[in-house]
Amino acid sequence: MKSTFLYISLFLFALNTNAQIIKAEIIATGLTCSMCSNAINKQFKALAEVENVETDLNTNTFTVYLKKDSKITPRILKERVEKAGFFVGSMIITMQFVNLNISDNFSVSQDNLPLIFIDSKSKTLNGATRVKILDKSFVTQKEYKKLSKLYAKYVSYALVNEDNYHLKTI
Amino acid sequence: MKHLFYGFIVLISFQIKAQELFVFTEPASNMPSNSVGIRLGQSLLNEQIKSGYNYHIMPEIMWGINKNLMIHASAFVSNRNTNLVTEGGSFYAKYRFFSIDDLHSHFRLATFGRYSFNNADIHQDEIETMGHNTGFETGIIATQLINKVAISSTLSFEKALDNKPNYDFPSTQSNNATNYSLSFGKLVYPKKYTSFKQTNINLMVEFLGQTLNENGKSYLDVAPSIQFIINSQARIDLAYKQELYASMLRSAPNGFYLKMEYTFFNIKQNKK
Repeated sequence: MKSTFLYISLFLFALNTNAQIIKAEIIATGLTCSMCSNAINKQFKALAEVENVETDLNTNTFTVYLKKDSKITPRILKERVEKAGFFVGSMIITMQFVNLNISDNFSVSQDNLPLIFIDSKSKTLNGATRVKILDKSFVTQKEYKKLSKLYAKYVSYALVNEDNYHLKTI
Repeated sequence: MKHLFYGFIVLISFQIKAQELFVFTEPASNMPSNSVGIRLGQSLLNEQIKSGYNYHIMPEIMWGINKNLMIHASAFVSNRNTNLVTEGGSFYAKYRFFSIDDLHSHFRLATFGRYSFNNADIHQDEIETMGHNTGFETGIIATQLINKVAISSTLSFEKALDNKPNYDFPSTQSNNATNYSLSFGKLVYPKKYTSFKQTNINLMVEFLGQTLNENGKSYLDVAPSIQFIINSQARIDLAYKQELYASMLRSAPNGFYLKMEYTFFNIKQNKK
């Protein structure tokens, strides 16, 4: 009985979570040595849903490839960097969209991720698309100071809550 | 059973921020959360009062509890009284409470506390809870990293208690001190990274001082060191400490240090 319930809930869950984030390109801040990078590298690789991690040691850029149907959120990836003792300076994620018409300050729940496009022109997103996360702790502290002034008009951005992600296509 | 299994999937790697991994002082940064480090420190010190060298071994285990808090436990073994004897041990905790990070720099502040116990005889004015005195030390650490250079400074208060059961702290000596240090570290190799397997070489120089609060006696040491990080898995430090000046009695201020360290990452598999 218990296992039947488990299978049903797994099935329902699977329906909700088709292709999410395909990969994340993350620049970590506050480090300049290869061991620091390795600490972050190991943190990512410990995640069961991570397929592979490519590291550019000179720029501290980690390209994290995620397994199909992974349920990893950008916040989980950010926390891994912080667990290693560092911070995220930039996070660009590649997501799969199907004919999604976006405009400035457009909200959508894509594969259970609540997304808000800001500083964006009206356009249609289709296929694998790179988007930059603009929220606090996903950009450098200096950049966040700038952005919080620049994006003051977006009420949800100024709230700095963990319920959504503010994105810009690049 | 599952946990046991995961326990064995231990990923060995090596610690963080090489330039900051000083030999004699701790940086304000911590080791990664959910990692355990083991360290073996050895020193060969030239006895000032009697002739010869004495040998100390200090095994140490370190645990990154979360991203801001880490603890150490160490034991002190020495042959000062002919045979190798365990003279004491120590517990240490460090909490990082402030960070400003930018692309290739950071500034961090941490506070720390140590409690040590020791049963050896008290034979010098210098207070050293790392291996000589029962007592405690508490202080603050500031560390700045800019590109390949790290600068770190520590200010602390240290108080010695009786070395129980046999050796009371001499009432004629100051039982508390102010310690201060200034450390510089530079990554000298490689200039450009190609892989995690490259050996990293760091050069460091540290200035370590103490002033006894009750009588103003003090010392200042300089300690240059070279550090190798091999295969991003092993750390080997070789250092020499030399007294620059001292107005207090110290038994063995000068000598060589060899430190080896491993960090085991992700000791508990957590999938989140």
